[in-house]
Amino acid sequence: MTEQHANPEDFDLYALGALDGDEKQRFEAHLRSCAACGQQLAAARQHTALLGLSAEPVNPPPHVKSSLMEKVKAEGVATAKKSVPETPKKIRWGLRFSLGFGLATAVLAIATFELAKQDLERGKQMKQLEAQVAQDTVAMQAMGQVAGAPDTSMTTLLEQAGEPPGQAHVMYNARMGMAVYSGQIAPAPADKSYQLWLVPASGAPVSAGLVAPNQESGIVVVHVTPGMVAKAFAVTMEPLGGEPQPTGPKVLIGVVSS
Amino acid sequence: MTAPVQQTTDSALVERMKAGDESALSTLYDRYSAMLFGLLMRILKEREAAEEVLQDLFLQLWRNAGQFDASRGSLPAWLMVMGRNRAISRLRGRRDREVMEEKEGDYANTFASAQNVEDDASRAELARSLTAALATLPAEQRQALELAYFEGMTQSEIAARTGTPLGTVKTRVRTAMQSLRQLL
Repeated sequence: MTEQHANPEDFDLYALGALDGDEKQRFEAHLRSCAACGQQLAAARQHTALLGLSAEPVNPPPHVKSSLMEKVKAEGVATAKKSVPETPKKIRWGLRFSLGFGLATAVLAIATFELAKQDLERGKQMKQLEAQVAQDTVAMQAMGQVAGAPDTSMTTLLEQAGEPPGQAHVMYNARMGMAVYSGQIAPAPADKSYQLWLVPASGAPVSAGLVAPNQESGIVVVHVTPGMVAKAFAVTMEPLGGEPQPTGPKVLIGVVSS
Repeated sequence: MTAPVQQTTDSALVERMKAGDESALSTLYDRYSAMLFGLLMRILKEREAAEEVLQDLFLQLWRNAGQFDASRGSLPAWLMVMGRNRAISRLRGRRDREVMEEKEGDYANTFASAQNVEDDASRAELARSLTAALATLPAEQRQALELAYFEGMTQSEIAARTGTPLGTVKTRVRTAMQSLRQLL
């Protein structure tokens, strides 16, 4: 029996994001089981990605860069200080798990760093540890800000039938454009990554980065465009390194309560 | 005669960013901001919105530099894809479109690039070739392609906008992309 491949016209349309309706669903269903069509799609994507170069370059005004660098510098200062954020005076229900988990893991990370510092001789390992501590410190600070804000929502993401077991929580503050993820999922296959998505009330899902089940802290702080109203959060299993848009099965889903 | 100055590679700059070097981000901004801002302006048609997306894009790059894997493709291609995705999402949201399901809006995306667009001269040459190639396309093919790429329209929306049968839209897009591949 001859295998029925995807319609040749659909590769470019899909790569452009223009395929819709039933055709798109059929195309995606076929893609999940056909490596040859996957390769053909990758080639189509390579070419469509270049279309952006046809737009005339325009120099942005200088204040965009200066504002960007100020923000980056401020984040660097916050990291260097390694200060513990003020504990929110009033922790709302549902946030205790994430906040407690975050504080505990950050303390654990710092303790681990101090102990390991005595034993490690190689600079590379030291740098990795320092980076980890810096990340955890930033995560802790961000978590304090998000958890303490009255307009932060808490969403529980639950496992889906037939997918790896797990559970996660996402604290999200649209005004700040920040989300704090904490959770545990069964390890992904070696060639796969778990990726968190913010599903806005309108528009395509926005990647909120990779979430690694075997990461010691299990916490990920993500920044999105402020003001984006979320209707749900989801974790999907994607090719290693993640994708700009979801392509794999949904492993965890949580609908944001209004 | 002075030898040409070798520019620092993107992957080297990304590694420096991972180590917290802000000057690496500054260099990458100088290298790619005009390309990206032009794309964002073309899609969003609003300077303020384009500025916000541009800054957000580079902030994301800074914050998530550790997640970028240079072995999967070129940085400018990644920036262009991410920039387009964000701009289109914003554009479609502004149009008050109906709430979309999670997997809709799976726009053109790739972490790889068929061409080297890291080098300024190569990128400029490629842009010239692409613009020239697009100019050779029949107007209706170019329109279909541009509505999909720069306005994020689906094939059904393009058909409705242009008053063209869906099958014709499909053919136009495919033919246009085939022509571009040959010309490039």
